[in-house]
Amino acid sequence: MSTVEHPERGGFALLSRMKPDRRLGLYALAAAIVVFVVGQLIQPGFASASGVKTVLVVASFVGLVAAGQTLVVLIGGIDLSVPWMMNSMAVLLTTAAEGSSLRAAWVVPVVLVAGALLGAVNGLGVAVLAVPAVVMTLGMNGVLQGLTLGLTGGFTCASCGSSAPPVLAGAVNGSVLGIPGQLIIVLLVAVVMTVLLSWTSFGRRIYATGTNPRASALAGVNVRALTIALYALSGLFAALAGILLTAYGGKATLGMGDPYLFQSIAAVVIGGVSILGGRGHYLGALAGSVTLTALISVLLAKDMPDYGRDMVYGVAVLGIALLYGRSERDEA
Amino acid sequence: MSPTAPRAAGSSTEAESRPAIEAELVDKHYGPVQALRQASFDALPGEVHALVGENGAGKSTLIKLLCGVARPDGGVLRIGGEVTTLGGPSEAAAHGIVTAFQELTLLPFLSVAENLLLGREPRGAAGLIRRRALNERAGEVLAECGVDSIDPGAVVETLPLAQRQIVEVVRAVSQRPKVLLLDEPTSSLAEHEVEWLFDLVRTMCRTGTCVVFTSHRWREINALADRITVFRNGTHVSTSRALDEDEAVRLMTGQVLTHRRRELPEPSQRVLLGVSGLTAGRVVDLGFTARQGEIVGIGGLEGQGQRDLFLALFGARHHTGQVSVDGNPVPLRSPKDAIRAGIALVPEDRKGEGLFLRMSIRENLTLPILPRIAARGLLRSSAERAAARGMVDQLAIGVRDQDQPVGTLSGGNQQKVLLGRWLLTGARVVLLYDVTRGVDLATKRDIYDRVVELAEQGRTVLFYSSETEEVAQMSHRVLVMREGRIAAELTGEQITAEGIVRAAVRDLGHDTNPARPVDPAGTSATASTAAASTGEGAADQ
Amino acid sequence: MTQTQTRSPQQPRPAPAPASTLLGRLSAQNTGLVLAWLLGVAMLVLYLALFAARKSALPGNFELTSTVNNTVPLIFAALGQSFAVLTSGLDLSVGGVMDVSNSLAASQMGTSPGGILLWTVLILLFGAATGLVNGLLVAYGRLQPILVTLGTLAILQGLALKVLPQPGGTTPPALTKALADPDAPYGLILVALACLIWFVARRTSFGMWIYAVGNDRVAARARGVPVRRTLVLAYVTSGTFASAAGIMLAATTTGGDAASGDVFTLTSIAAVVIGGVSLFGGRGSGIGAVLGAFVLTLLINVLFFASVDPLYEPFYEGLFLVLAAAATTLAGYWLRRGQIGRGLR
Repeated sequence: MSTVEHPERGGFALLSRMKPDRRLGLYALAAAIVVFVVGQLIQPGFASASGVKTVLVVASFVGLVAAGQTLVVLIGGIDLSVPWMMNSMAVLLTTAAEGSSLRAAWVVPVVLVAGALLGAVNGLGVAVLAVPAVVMTLGMNGVLQGLTLGLTGGFTCASCGSSAPPVLAGAVNGSVLGIPGQLIIVLLVAVVMTVLLSWTSFGRRIYATGTNPRASALAGVNVRALTIALYALSGLFAALAGILLTAYGGKATLGMGDPYLFQSIAAVVIGGVSILGGRGHYLGALAGSVTLTALISVLLAKDMPDYGRDMVYGVAVLGIALLYGRSERDEA
Repeated sequence: MSPTAPRAAGSSTEAESRPAIEAELVDKHYGPVQALRQASFDALPGEVHALVGENGAGKSTLIKLLCGVARPDGGVLRIGGEVTTLGGPSEAAAHGIVTAFQELTLLPFLSVAENLLLGREPRGAAGLIRRRALNERAGEVLAECGVDSIDPGAVVETLPLAQRQIVEVVRAVSQRPKVLLLDEPTSSLAEHEVEWLFDLVRTMCRTGTCVVFTSHRWREINALADRITVFRNGTHVSTSRALDEDEAVRLMTGQVLTHRRRELPEPSQRVLLGVSGLTAGRVVDLGFTARQGEIVGIGGLEGQGQRDLFLALFGARHHTGQVSVDGNPVPLRSPKDAIRAGIALVPEDRKGEGLFLRMSIRENLTLPILPRIAARGLLRSSAERAAARGMVDQLAIGVRDQDQPVGTLSGGNQQKVLLGRWLLTGARVVLLYDVTRGVDLATKRDIYDRVVELAEQGRTVLFYSSETEEVAQMSHRVLVMREGRIAAELTGEQITAEGIVRAAVRDLGHDTNPARPVDPAGTSATASTAAASTGEGAADQ
Repeated sequence: MTQTQTRSPQQPRPAPAPASTLLGRLSAQNTGLVLAWLLGVAMLVLYLALFAARKSALPGNFELTSTVNNTVPLIFAALGQSFAVLTSGLDLSVGGVMDVSNSLAASQMGTSPGGILLWTVLILLFGAATGLVNGLLVAYGRLQPILVTLGTLAILQGLALKVLPQPGGTTPPALTKALADPDAPYGLILVALACLIWFVARRTSFGMWIYAVGNDRVAARARGVPVRRTLVLAYVTSGTFASAAGIMLAATTTGGDAASGDVFTLTSIAAVVIGGVSLFGGRGSGIGAVLGAFVLTLLINVLFFASVDPLYEPFYEGLFLVLAAAATTLAGYWLRRGQIGRGLR
């Protein structure tokens, strides 16, 4: 039967009345703050304005990819095509624009659309051909890798080494009111994602489908179209990340997308999004990206060798998952 | 009312008065929910003991405790008089306690043989399983239980639900248990399969096996049980040798609910639903009409195409043929089309196919109507909350917080939420597919009232239930399906459980005109239908 | 009328059970395996045809043995992976285990037979230990396999870099001679060994339990299957096979590389999928994984002999993977459509 809980006073009460998903996102944010504090203690200057800014900028790229990953994970899927989606779209950008800001005006939209279309192909495979997401996106990753390497002759083509169009580089690296352009872009993405997930019928359908796809279909949700749309968005976000990363670094490089697969999944998990679907919010994933990046930065600051980074990632993911990623008991 | 069916000889003789299995003052809680409170229960060797109660009364939990799947928090379990603790189902099996579960424990992609003999496979040299011997042994096991129509090599997933339930029962019985626990064993069985099960149970009791079963089907309980125990709110209420249905309801709910034959409102003459040439899955060239305010019952043995029919009418299944609502042909390529046309489907598996348990009542209620309450895709909280509030009040879902997750509600309230969702869509044609399956008696009656309400509101209702008595009780007209077609249409006096069953099993070959009504005083009455009519007659006082 | 002695179901019968034809049994339980065989044969034919077209002769002993030797690591990795996948899990740490195994073999084994043997055992134990950690976290920690193995993968990749920071070291030639000798059919023996292990495992209780857990964990538990123990053992098996695969990988190369195993995470999954093992669990055969490994390796060879630019290889592999998976699912649907008595649910 029902009981309406009378709201007690105080923060704890507020916390316990929150939906579990929101709570986890809050924890992720708390974790990020803790890492910054610890970092400042270990390495003074870490949590300075410029230190924080650097970490946030690096984290924002992960956060961008994590946006797409969040969407597909929410319906119980996953996108393993991120590395070469990013890379191929970055290469498409540089080879098509060839360093020209003028060309960038039409190349950027074309690249974004391409990313969305490729993502939609992922969605078609998953939704229509019933190919498991792991397989479909894995296959797409290979396809894009082969196409990119093959068509560029192993990255030896003439225009492969083109710089990013200056207008893009300027937008990403410049700042408005002291806030780096990259952060503003990602902040906008965060706003769009929040509105999408929390305040639109589309978002409601995402959660319903992630919770129970069969019931969703029987309630009139077009699950297939939804799946295709979400994978398309994942492709779009990966393409966007590829464009911005190229602008940030100045050039497209081989393998630039590789680290982002693991990091985006880790960020999503740390942010409290359930890998089974139906639960979690993008803001949590965003907080997760920050925590993860901050953690690595702290370790790098202490001169931890490369291999240490991998191990820390792994331990962090396992630790967080043990904290709040556990499934229910089987016992009846 | 005295028991009418023959009882197994040798039950509860003085020499075997020590219970085969007993729970004494057991407690069990799951988190904050107290599933069993100081509950006591005992069953004697060689007796058939029925355990009844509403959903949530603790029957399933008790069964789980008795077979070791769960452990009691307090109280004592005795087997054969000795105090025992069961660490798990294998320990229970070692004590001779075997269970056939309602949520079938069959492994779908394994064969019947592998399922039957899991853990008891015939071994060869080096202790390795011999696969051919496995199939042979399984065939023997099936034959011993009187089943010869199931192939041991068949993969379970390809079997119809009734056969899967039979396999589940055979699996349990073949272990020659001392105590056999059956959790809703007949929920998917047709009448003659139920009779097979009764025979099997009686045979086992003769050899001293104690059988405990739970059921919601009153006719069966009375026909089979030596003793009937009622549970309510997690504790024992009564045990008796016979129980009248009204009395049972009173004990189960603590309330007096009189059972009266339902008065169905008069339907209008206006045709609301028209179906012609419908072909989908098992359904072949089916056609009928239904009027406003009419409840059309769909009868027939399980698996004759009823599910395909319902899914097709809701656009959830590919089909050919024409469907029209209020005279206008409507496209039904997807559930969305159906919803737009004013058709709603309430499926029987409310947890698997209907509700989103983790999501709130409000979210569950408003999902199909989001386009109507959203402004250009953006949700409008006030409109949504108002709609939800309205439905919660209308259906008397006794909660004050519409943000509560649906999973925390009782089964009856959950069913109301599901119904409420479809009422919110303003559906004029409501397809109810076995909505009382697994629902306790008191809530069933509540659902019957709601169904009548739907008809009173001028909606057309298509009502399918695996319990023939329900179909008989609730319908203005009954269409009996057989092999994907309408084998008979029953109206008025012809609508009885017996009449429906007879029309369902009659050979199509004899009668060239399927539309001719069935003769109620027909021949070849079998024992099961005789019992059915006796049961019906007794209830109709 | 029934009499108490008669025990058969009354007239009329329920819908007759689908006749257990060969096709029926194949379709329901083994579609994937059948397809894997078909793919294997097709790929073999294609390979032979292209080889003959290019070299005007059929592949000789040396080529065939080398091909088998090169496939052996993937066979073992895929076979191990299938144990995890059959329980409806996934082992992403396979690549990491192989990285560490390979690095250890290249840097620690030395040349003495005693050293080689010792380190072989140690490496296998290491694989088992990793599997134990994975299994415990999945079964008792109740974490999702994809997360657990992703985490251990990262840890292992780091560990491998610590063991062998730069590609180098030397694999003892004796190891190569023992496992991957191009002039002797030891590779075939290893393949046979793998198949034998599968054959035996399938017929043990453990084998049945794996399928039970992958089919329906809750039902398996109610039937007395030790679910958690089975899960742990499944991952231990996967880890052990992965470390064996790592040793085989070392045997086929002269030096070590801490990243050489990475690719096997994905290719082992691909082999398993092509072999018809369902990623949803409970269905498929380890033999399928072996076949899948062969198909993938032959695919590379086919591409080579078809003069496809090696840079395009991932394209074809990816495409092939997706098409194979789609084909398995579609074939399954199509075959099952024809069966009567389809369950209602």
